[in-house]
Amino acid sequence: MSSWRDRINQFSGGTRYVVCRLFLHLEGNQVAPLLGVLNQAALIADEAEGDMQSLGEELEQVCKSLLESDVYWRSVANEGDVFWDEGEAGNFVNELFTDSAQRYLSQPDLSVVSNQANDPLVVPITQNIIVMLTVAYEGEVPELESDLSNMDALKAGLKALINLHYQNSLRAVQIHFSPAQLGDELPPDQILVNFPELIPL
Amino acid sequence: MKLKPDMLKGFLMVGSTFNLRQWVSVGMALLLSWTTVACGGSVPEKSAQGGGQLASPTRVKSNPAQEATAIADGKYDVQQATYNDGNGEYTLFLLNTPPGVSANFRSTKLQMAQLTPEETSAAQNPYLQVKNGQPALHISKDFKLEYVHNVVEQAQNPQTGQVEQRVVRQESNFWSPFAGAIAGQVIGNMLFRPQYYVPPLYQSGGGGLSGYGGYGNSYGQATSSYRERYNQPPLVERNRTAYRTTQRRTIGSGSVSQPPRSNFNSSFSQRSTGKGFGSSNLDTSRPSSGSYRRSPSSGFGSGRSSSFGSGRSSSGGRRR
Repeated sequence: MSSWRDRINQFSGGTRYVVCRLFLHLEGNQVAPLLGVLNQAALIADEAEGDMQSLGEELEQVCKSLLESDVYWRSVANEGDVFWDEGEAGNFVNELFTDSAQRYLSQPDLSVVSNQANDPLVVPITQNIIVMLTVAYEGEVPELESDLSNMDALKAGLKALINLHYQNSLRAVQIHFSPAQLGDELPPDQILVNFPELIPL
Repeated sequence: MKLKPDMLKGFLMVGSTFNLRQWVSVGMALLLSWTTVACGGSVPEKSAQGGGQLASPTRVKSNPAQEATAIADGKYDVQQATYNDGNGEYTLFLLNTPPGVSANFRSTKLQMAQLTPEETSAAQNPYLQVKNGQPALHISKDFKLEYVHNVVEQAQNPQTGQVEQRVVRQESNFWSPFAGAIAGQVIGNMLFRPQYYVPPLYQSGGGGLSGYGGYGNSYGQATSSYRERYNQPPLVERNRTAYRTTQRRTIGSGSVSQPPRSNFNSSFSQRSTGKGFGSSNLDTSRPSSGSYRRSPSSGFGSGRSSSFGSGRSSSGGRRR
């Protein structure tokens, strides 16, 4: 039944919008440098004031770095939906932003600042990083519209994300990550609490 | 819809005055074509289910996206055209629309072309040609589109402290895409083929805009040729892109104020720190007809028992 309606919409010339979100959890001693790439992306996005072109480029950089560090992938989750109405797709994108953002603290809790003078010059290195990528695009990409909870599917999915930028079909890009910077940590129990949907690879 | 035997008999009775054989052959041909269509249609669905990965949505809205007014293929005279740089929408006032069709045509994906010299010498009026659902506006060299310019200002929302863009006022101006000598020299005959155009850099004052900022066979090509020329995104793209970030932005500098470095000890807190940012140029201001709730069975995702979002049932249950 659904495929009939799908096809009717296709014939009548409606645009197919797909919104999807991907969670990727990386674990290991060597994952912290990825925070540099992610913060750089955040900085460039701010300088460009959210220009889609530069966000697409940053998405590409992030996906590339994720693909390079595939040995640290530990767990993953993805979700998404197909829309035939632009407004609904946009609302869902906003909904996903809010949902992604409430999984971490965007403002550091300054009440627990310890006495800086007596601290040794050491920063803890995080063992875990979670990256959340959300995109909205026009058209159909089978690599993304499936279950990405295995290595091969995930690799294909990340490559498909890069390709979307070059096909100019991206309509929305969001990148969230936790922890925010070098020196902050993301303990495993918080991952269990705040990211319950993750599936071990 | 199935052909019932008695229905067929009825057809044959009517046809018996003519040649019975003719009717049978026509009927068989119809039946054959119907079954062919049915078989052809079911193939992609089967393969999708066999793969067990592709899932098509159950809930699909009855009307397609409202980005363009639906209009039948044909040729329509254009009286007036308006371009809004807030959302990139063209509004055309058509003259000879069939009854029941609105004279106002709106589209964000409109191609434009210059009238050919033959058409010009025949004193052809500007017209809209719709071919395969793709509208193309054919206008003369000196045709002026009304250009609505949105003056945008960055303002701080006093409630959230976030910096957001606001339209302060709208200015009215004119844009003649094919005026100016440069255009003709560069691409010559390509002007007469419908293509996508992006208006040039906006200059305030009543002087009007002539020429274009970028062009291309697709809208994406047009914007990227604009970027090459001006090294910045077109005004429309900036206006309709909503940028969101979880960091605090300050007015003026356009950059994020770095929070003071804290010796953040995550063991005291339920959540670790994080950052997020994103842009979207999906238009959410359009009224979507009917109330919409995500149905639990639509979409796709990593299929765990309740892994589709938080506590939503999985897409696996929908697969038969």
